[in-house]
Amino acid sequence: MEDASPAIRVADLRKIYGDKAAVDGLTLEVPRGCFFGFLGPNGAGKTTTIRMLIGLTPPSSGSIELLGLPMPEQALAIKRKIGLVPDESLLFDRLTGAEFLEFVGRMYGLGRPVAKERARELLNLFELDGNPRQLIAEYSKGMRKRIAMAASIIHRPELFLMDEPFEGVDAVGARMMKDLLLDQVRQGATIFLTSHVLEVVERLCDRVAIIHEGRLVMESAIGELRLGADTLEDVFVRTVGGERAIEKLDWL
Amino acid sequence: MSDPILAILWAQWRTLLNFRRGHGMGSFVLPALAILAWYGTWAMLAVTIGFFVSQPGVRRMLPLVLPNGLLAVFVYWQLTPLLTASMGASIDLRKLLVFPIPARRLFEVEVLLRLSTCIEMMLLVSGLAAGLLVNPALPHRNGTLAFLPFIVFNLLVSAGLRNQMERWMARRRVRELIVLFVLLAAAVPQLLFVTGVPGPLRWFVSAQAQMWWPWSATARLASGEGTAALWLVLLGWTIAALFFGRWQFARSLRFDAAAAESRGRTSGESRPWLDRLYRVPGMLFSDPLAVIIEKELRSLLRTPRFRLVFLMGFTFGVIVFLPIILRRGGGPLPPGDHLAMVSGYALLLLGDVAFWNVFGFDRSAAQLYFLLPMPISRVFAGKNIAALFFVFLEITAIICVWAAFRMPLTAVKAAEAYAVALTFSLYLLGAGNVSSVYYPRAINPERSTGAASAGRLRAMLLLIYPAAAIPILLAYGARYAFESDTAFWSVIAIAAALGAAFYWVALDSALERIERNKDKILRTLSEGEGPVRLS
Repeated sequence: MEDASPAIRVADLRKIYGDKAAVDGLTLEVPRGCFFGFLGPNGAGKTTTIRMLIGLTPPSSGSIELLGLPMPEQALAIKRKIGLVPDESLLFDRLTGAEFLEFVGRMYGLGRPVAKERARELLNLFELDGNPRQLIAEYSKGMRKRIAMAASIIHRPELFLMDEPFEGVDAVGARMMKDLLLDQVRQGATIFLTSHVLEVVERLCDRVAIIHEGRLVMESAIGELRLGADTLEDVFVRTVGGERAIEKLDWL
Repeated sequence: MSDPILAILWAQWRTLLNFRRGHGMGSFVLPALAILAWYGTWAMLAVTIGFFVSQPGVRRMLPLVLPNGLLAVFVYWQLTPLLTASMGASIDLRKLLVFPIPARRLFEVEVLLRLSTCIEMMLLVSGLAAGLLVNPALPHRNGTLAFLPFIVFNLLVSAGLRNQMERWMARRRVRELIVLFVLLAAAVPQLLFVTGVPGPLRWFVSAQAQMWWPWSATARLASGEGTAALWLVLLGWTIAALFFGRWQFARSLRFDAAAAESRGRTSGESRPWLDRLYRVPGMLFSDPLAVIIEKELRSLLRTPRFRLVFLMGFTFGVIVFLPIILRRGGGPLPPGDHLAMVSGYALLLLGDVAFWNVFGFDRSAAQLYFLLPMPISRVFAGKNIAALFFVFLEITAIICVWAAFRMPLTAVKAAEAYAVALTFSLYLLGAGNVSSVYYPRAINPERSTGAASAGRLRAMLLLIYPAAAIPILLAYGARYAFESDTAFWSVIAIAAALGAAFYWVALDSALERIERNKDKILRTLSEGEGPVRLS
């Protein structure tokens, strides 16, 4: 019987740093099988939210439930079902791409031969198999994102949490990654993604939410947003109050 | 199914192998020799102790010597990683927490990695156990098995303390004070040396064997006193250590470093006097040199590791030499030279953060220096001038401490301390500029402890420091040989002139190297670590 619980359910989630709320009373539900865009200007609280979802940052208050399981009580069970593409590098620079993927596979409980085989296939898919001795330290920014994406799918997760997955990736790589993600959604996976490239979000996502200064300011199906001539960018800029005239700089 | 611990160890092994591939065998020879010399010495000491305790005649001394010896082992085991600001290998929780690994398994790895901090004590305890095992005068030789729970006890306490320290280190403002407190506590033996051991402490040492401490129980068991009660005591302590270690580790897992860091931070913080200090270079130099110096002053003063080392220079640096300074009848040096000696020691401390790896705190941002429309020599000059500024400040602070404690001080001796520090600095800065481009290493400025320079360089420093000190030693040699201050000042003047020449030659060499190898340098400065963190 299929689980009817949403992929992500957070209620009144807060994260306070000193006297500042990075996330302030976030309540959100992401249905299973949804391609969900989580948008916001810089410093809005997107990355903090993802870190709380995965259990890297404990929330100050509020509750989190992923795939029907409470976090942090069921952290291990949740982590087994999640694929993460973090904003900052959690890569091990002194490993080659193949070694890193094998390591990640084994950390998710895959047997060594299976992890090795999947690592080889993923390297091939992500076109990172050109120089097998190349260390991750020698990767370009786009290559680092690709290896992070490859690592996030090696254990076939049900839920992807992705922080700026396309940042620095070239057009060909980005297209392949998008196709791969869409295919995962078709197979029933859920994707929770942050991105500043609103065209990509508009094209890929079923639903979007906008967070601003730690608070959810809008959540909607992408189809509803497209009513009228407005693009997602228009809606976003209007929602976060970013419309302002470019001041004239005399020296420019 | 794969074991995550094996995967972590395998990844770390690959990381080390790949590091060797990136840096060549040469990178390993010097550190390997230094490691061999260090542990070789401890191994010889262990053999000597083993031989000593294997003699039948030693049995009568064991009740006093063994408990205190094991207490010393315990203190060294727990304190050394803190004192050397080198906490050894530990798992990088930041990177591993995303994986579904039970906390219990992570704790097991953490405890195993604690072995890396006290191989010396493992050697000593092994020598001790082997010696006692073959001692024919001891009744129950299987009592040496007590060393096993004693080692486990130490590993578990060490793991717990490390986790506690790591969390303290993450707390803004508090961390420097805590480290300083620990370091000052470590200077207690020096103070006891000067003041004498107080009565209660003497009683504690003499009554060791009668007490229910883990080291006492181990000592009594190992000496052949095989009672069940002693085993119960030792196992009880080990179980308590297990709870302590796991409790601390669990707290670290839940710990939010970013939240701890944000405590004590006030928004809109403004300190006009500090801002005026930062602006001083602008009055003395023109841009871009002035702005580079200003940037260095700002960023170094905001770097916890730098602040800690700077504080240590005029606190720990003074205390560590107290037995020599306060020794009646004079030590190896005349009393007037102690200030210069402490100043020189402060420079050794500062070296790690101000000389040897000048791009370390900049990390990948160092590439900015290559993009700016100015020669890279300005960057070196700016960083070196900022370092000299802090050297001047450090010596001034030492002089203030000196005056506050009414130690022998005259204006000439103060001038001598500045002159010695400046001359020594010229050699250190020259060598540091070269080492910064040959052995760059990215450093996390937020971490208060850990090595701030590459392993290969740390081995070479054993040669560089004495070599850089030769001109200074010659100046003091001239003073004692000719019994003349004029001879001292003449040699110091020549040493300073030679130091300036050395500085320019070394700078040229560094500039030539950085132009040729900028890619490699920048890549190294951008690198992260493996699943195990070495500090």
